[in-house]
Amino acid sequence: MSHHPVQPNWPARIGIAVAALAAPVFAIALAVTIGEMRIPLATAFQALGNGLFDLGYPVSAIQQGVIFDYRLSRALLAGLCGGALALSGAILQALLRNPLAEPYILGISAGASTGAVAVMILGFGGAALTVSGGAFLGSVAALLIVALLAAGAGGASDRVILAGVAGSQLFNAATATIVTTLASAEQARGVMFWLLGNFGGVRWPDVFVATPVALAGFAICMLHAKALDAFAFGADAAASLGVAVTRVRVVLFAVTAVMTATMVSIVGTIGFVGLVIPHAARFLVGPGHARLLPVCLVIGAIFMILADILSRILVPQQILPIGVVTALVGAPAFAIILYRARRPA
Amino acid sequence: MTLSARDVFWGTSGRMIVDGVTLEAAPGKILGLIGPNGSGKSSLLRLLCRLRNVSSGVVELDGRDIGQVSRRELARRLAFVEQQATTEIQLCVCDVVRLGRTPHRSALASWSAADEQAVDAALARVGMSERHDQLWHTLSGGERQRVHIARALAQTPSELILDEPTNHLDIQHQLSILTLVRRLGVTCIVALHDLNLAALFCDEIALLHEGRLVASGTPETVLTEETIRRVFGVAVRIGATASGRRHIEYLVDPDCYGEAAP
Ligand SMILES: Nc1ncnc2c1ncn2[C@@H]1O[C@H](COP(=O)(O)OP(=O)(O)OP(=O)(O)O)[C@@H](O)[C@H]1O
Ligand SMILES: [Mg+2]
Repeated sequence: MSHHPVQPNWPARIGIAVAALAAPVFAIALAVTIGEMRIPLATAFQALGNGLFDLGYPVSAIQQGVIFDYRLSRALLAGLCGGALALSGAILQALLRNPLAEPYILGISAGASTGAVAVMILGFGGAALTVSGGAFLGSVAALLIVALLAAGAGGASDRVILAGVAGSQLFNAATATIVTTLASAEQARGVMFWLLGNFGGVRWPDVFVATPVALAGFAICMLHAKALDAFAFGADAAASLGVAVTRVRVVLFAVTAVMTATMVSIVGTIGFVGLVIPHAARFLVGPGHARLLPVCLVIGAIFMILADILSRILVPQQILPIGVVTALVGAPAFAIILYRARRPA
Repeated sequence: MTLSARDVFWGTSGRMIVDGVTLEAAPGKILGLIGPNGSGKSSLLRLLCRLRNVSSGVVELDGRDIGQVSRRELARRLAFVEQQATTEIQLCVCDVVRLGRTPHRSALASWSAADEQAVDAALARVGMSERHDQLWHTLSGGERQRVHIARALAQTPSELILDEPTNHLDIQHQLSILTLVRRLGVTCIVALHDLNLAALFCDEIALLHEGRLVASGTPETVLTEETIRRVFGVAVRIGATASGRRHIEYLVDPDCYGEAAP
C-alpha cells in the first residue's frame, strides 16, 4: 500500500476484480468435479444447468444429486464460511490491536459447542431445536456473557480478550462436563466430529442462510474500512481522527459475531482460517483495510474450498475433519509466507 | 475566541485530576501548558479534544460546546498529537500521515489529488519527505514524533493540540518544530516541560499544579522565581535572552560538582 496512484488505474482494477471472482469460481469447479465419484467437468456443468435453470440435459439422477445437491452447496458454503471467518479475523485483529485475535476469541465457538452438545446429548429443546439452532443460541449466550464481563472490566482491548478467554474456558468446561459424564462412546465421536468442523450435512437451505449473512457482513465491514485503518494507533488516536469509536466497535463486534456464530452453527468450529488468512493477506496487499478485507474474503473462500477437497480425498474412503485439514495444510503454508516476508531483527 | 475551557473538572476513581480549570487559547496564538509530572496536562488536553468527557464545566470551540459537535466535524478542525502513540502494524511513514486525511474523506471516497497534496506538504514541513516509504517501526523516537506531527498537519487543522511534541527531539528539531508551529499561524495549545522553550515560543502560558491552574498569562507574568520554586521545587534565576524573552537559569548546589571543581 506504499504507493497509491492518484489516478485510479481502471484497467488494472477491473483485471484484478475479474481474477478475484474467477479464482473462487475455479475452486468451486474443482470441488464439484473432484471426489469419490469421478464426474467429468462437462457433466458437472450440465448438472448445474439443470439445477439452476431446468435445462433438461441428460444427466443421471445420481450424478445430478451428487453435483447439485451435495457438492455444489457444500463448496459454496465452504467458500462463504472461509471468507466470513477470514474477514472476521481481520476485523478483530484491527479492533483489538492484537495479531492473535481470531473469530473465536470472544467465546463464540465455545458457546456454540456447549449449545450443540446440549442438543445432541441432553436433548435440549426437544424436536424443536436442531443442533445448529442450539449452537447458535449457545454462541449468542457466550457472547453476551463475554460482552458483559468485558464492559464491566472497562472495555479496553486487553480486557475484552481476557473476558473472551474466561468465557471460553467456562463454556468449554461445561461442554467437557456434559460429554464426559453423559455421552455414550458413539455420541462422543459425533461431538468430536462436530467440534472439528464438518461440511458433511450441508444442504441448500444452509447456503441460503449463510450467503446473505456473509455478503451483508462484508458490505458493512467495507463501509468501515477507513475507520479500521485509523485504529492503528489505538482508540484515542482513532477518535481524534474523527472516528465514532464506540459506535464502530459495537457495530463491527456485532457483525463479526453474527457472521461467526452463523458459520459455526452450520459447520462447527474450523480453526486456523480466521487467525492466519488475515496475516497472509496482509503480506500480499499490506495493512490498508480497503484492500485487505476483500482479499481476506477471497483468499479465505478459496482456502476453505481447497481444504474441503483435500479433506475428502486425503484418506481414501474417509473424510477428515475440515479443521484438521486447515491446520495441516495451513500451518506449513503460513510458515513459508512468514519465512519469505521475514524482516531483519 | 476559538478553543476555551470553562470551570472544567475531570476525575477518575474518586480522585480529581483536572480540578476546575478555566483557560482560553487566543486565535492564532500559542498557549503553553506547563506543570510538574502528573499535574494533569495530558488529562486536560484530552478533555479539550473530547477524548474524555468533562465531569462538569464546558469546553467550547467558537462558542459551541464540543460535546455537541460530531467527532468527524471536530477532527476536521482540531488535530491532536498524543504524548506517545505507537503501533505494531507494519505501516510506512506515508500510511501514517495519510491517516490525517480520515476526517476529510467519506466512507467510499477514493484517494484524491488534494489528499495526496496535503500529505506531501505535511511531510515536507517536518522535513521527512525522503522518508516517505520508510517503515514506522524502523524510525527513531524523534522521527516518529515528527511523523505524528505531519499526520496532524495533514488534517489541515485550525486548532492544534500537542502533548510534549519536543519529547525525543534533538535541540535542532525542538526548535524547528516549535518555529514551524509559530509559522503555521494556527491556534495551538502545547504541553511543554522545557520552561525556556515555553518562554521562547509561547504567547501565553498556563501553569498547572495538582490539577489546578495556579497561574496564567504572558511568560513574563507566569515564569517568576517565586512561582517556579513553589510549583516545581527548584531554585532559579530569571534573566533575559538577547531577544528580550525570559531565560531561566537553574541554580544547583555547587557542592554537587565535588572538591575538584573550580
Ligand atoms: N485514567 C486514569 N486513571 C487514573 N489516574 C489517572 C488517569 N489518567 C491520569 N491519571 C492520573 O492523573 C494525574 C495526571 O496525569 P496526566 O497524564 O494528566 O499528567 P501530566 O501532567 O501529563 O504528566 P506528565 O508531565 O508526566 O506527562 C497522574 O497522577 C495520573 O496518574
Ligand atoms: Mg503528560
